[in-house]
Amino acid sequence: MSALIKRVAGSLVVLIVVLVLNFFLFRIMPGDPLVGIMDPRFSPEAKEQLAAQWGLDKPLAEQFVVYLREMLSFRFGLSMMTSVPVWDELKNRVPNTVALLLPALLLSAALGLWLGVKAALRRGSRVERLVLLSGAVSFSFPSFFVQLLLLLCFAYVWPIFPLRGTTSIPPPEGPAAFFDYLWHLALPLFSLVILSFGGWALYIRNMMVKALGEDYVLMARARGLSRRRVVWNHAFRSILPPVVTIFLLSLPGVVSGAVITETVFSLNGAGRFLLEATNSHDYPSAGAAFFLLALLTVSCNLLADLIYVLVDPRVRREGAR
Amino acid sequence: MTRGIVCLAALTLLVLLALLGPAPFGLKDGPQAPPYSKPDWLDRSVASTVILNVSGVSKASAPLTWNYAAPLRVALTGRLESGSVRWTTPQGGEFLLARGPETGSAVSLDLDARDIPFKRSVGMKPFDNMPALLFPSKGGYRLSLLGSGDVALKIEGGRWGWLGTDQRGRDVATLFLRGIRISLIVGISSTLIAMLLGLSLGLLSGYAGGVTDALIMRTVDVLLSIPTLPILMVIAGIWGKGLWNLVLILSIFSWMGTARTVRAMTLSLRDAPWVDGLRALGAKRNYILFRHLVPEALPLLLANVALGVPGAILAEAGLSFLGLSDPRLPSWGRMLHEAHIFGAFTNGAWWTILPPGLGISLICLIFMDIGRKLEERADPRLTQASMKQAGLEQARLDQMEVSQ
Repeated sequence: MSALIKRVAGSLVVLIVVLVLNFFLFRIMPGDPLVGIMDPRFSPEAKEQLAAQWGLDKPLAEQFVVYLREMLSFRFGLSMMTSVPVWDELKNRVPNTVALLLPALLLSAALGLWLGVKAALRRGSRVERLVLLSGAVSFSFPSFFVQLLLLLCFAYVWPIFPLRGTTSIPPPEGPAAFFDYLWHLALPLFSLVILSFGGWALYIRNMMVKALGEDYVLMARARGLSRRRVVWNHAFRSILPPVVTIFLLSLPGVVSGAVITETVFSLNGAGRFLLEATNSHDYPSAGAAFFLLALLTVSCNLLADLIYVLVDPRVRREGAR
Repeated sequence: MTRGIVCLAALTLLVLLALLGPAPFGLKDGPQAPPYSKPDWLDRSVASTVILNVSGVSKASAPLTWNYAAPLRVALTGRLESGSVRWTTPQGGEFLLARGPETGSAVSLDLDARDIPFKRSVGMKPFDNMPALLFPSKGGYRLSLLGSGDVALKIEGGRWGWLGTDQRGRDVATLFLRGIRISLIVGISSTLIAMLLGLSLGLLSGYAGGVTDALIMRTVDVLLSIPTLPILMVIAGIWGKGLWNLVLILSIFSWMGTARTVRAMTLSLRDAPWVDGLRALGAKRNYILFRHLVPEALPLLLANVALGVPGAILAEAGLSFLGLSDPRLPSWGRMLHEAHIFGAFTNGAWWTILPPGLGISLICLIFMDIGRKLEERADPRLTQASMKQAGLEQARLDQMEVSQ
């Protein structure tokens, strides 16, 4: 149990750092936080009034308390651009981000796992060459370039997918709305899977190749176990903990990727909201979106940590002791 | 082996191109031809952009064989000291395009076929399509200068240069060559700064131990579990978008892998027998650190730098793609950003997308390969599995993180 508590505590520390960073990033950095909504011709009195309206005239400590309250209650204050509570703007967008990232992550991990193991079993085969190639692609091709190419091919030259957006305009009714949503999500999802399964496959192949050369695999073979048991129950089982670690470490990158993917495909998600808020100096909105993305990362991390405890008997035993 | 040589040759070529810039190839900055002109070799049925130059003291002329439909735009620039500039069509028609001063100093010309005064001076109505009237059919035309001066007639078609033009009519080849420099500067300098940061913090962490170690390693953990791109975006948005700001921001968020590697190395060497021996001989800590540990770590760190460059380049490209870079810096990410938001798709202008994208990928592949080669060189003595797992896989993960 102590291992678990340690992990939860670690996540909390990250969250606190994010909260503090988020607060100070927008207040310590040069530049007036009101620059986005203020006309330079405003009189000093008007500026003061505006600062008072946004609570920027209070001492920093008091601002921090208000900020913490707003963040932890998920209200996030008012957007400077639209004067609407930020949460009202965000609550429609976060599900879109999750609906994009979660299937992409699971699909690419599953595909990578399957291909990686296959490549390790058949060295020099076509599968292995595919894995090596897609690994190189996922490490060196910029995601937005591949996505732009996909858009160019499948939305312009051969228009079978929509060029932009999360829903058609006007949005269809009833069950058609669901399929419309899936249709809009398909190309971004496909692009994310294409971009990331190679990295997974390459990793798993490398580790599997190492694991298959170990003595215990030879031993398992000598015991006359079936090929499937040797591969999955012995070799793959032994590399599972590092696989989970890598899964865990790749999560921040996946969340980062949401910003770019949503921008390329003009999806209505939290990542693009962050970009728009940053560009328009809408600090409450940018802060909220950043906090939500960080929260998403940290909670996924924690989840992966829990899974790690489940798959690595050593950690479990340590915890029991 | 051959692959290594190819990589080095490609890198040398890129560095050379970055140093030379577009000027030696006769490529110019700024708008050159109509927006989204196709590459010259792509579609021969479309008129290319032609510049007819005539200069002389008393009389000069330039012929032009025209085999296309009328061009999109025509512009006359240059200076005229005396006399006139005339345009002769295959049918024998003649237009007086410009007249020089009777006496006194030369006039400079900057006339565009869309300007109403220009149309009137040639004798056309204000709403006439001047290029169509100047080019009534296919055949041989002639631009003649009767007098002295130096004028150029720019006939803008739908083709330009090696790689066409972008939404502002700038030459994509020029932008591409300029982009190499930005990518190399950002990639190499931010990775070097990150390496120095990681080296010093890793050494400190590994050698000092205790609270310092815990503090640094927890910082590493926290930084590794915060989504990097959003925070880079926010900082770039607030701090300003200059090149060196970008380099600094990128290096602040990419030293963690190196720090982990160096710390692992320091820990494994701190208790090695030969370090004990050195200590017994009376060696000071700094001497052991900088005369033995750092040289020991250097080859692997160099490999790490090469492996880290793609991450930095991709991160820079990503930020520029999101529009968070200085618009005056012609980087590859910026080119893709402009292609994306200014409708390269609706114009089918793939030539604004492929060159920068392939450029980024190529440069990343080159550095990855060089990194692997250096890693293999550096490895023989440091190939222990622990080291690899602690450091190099981490470096690759960092790249994966940024690139996704």
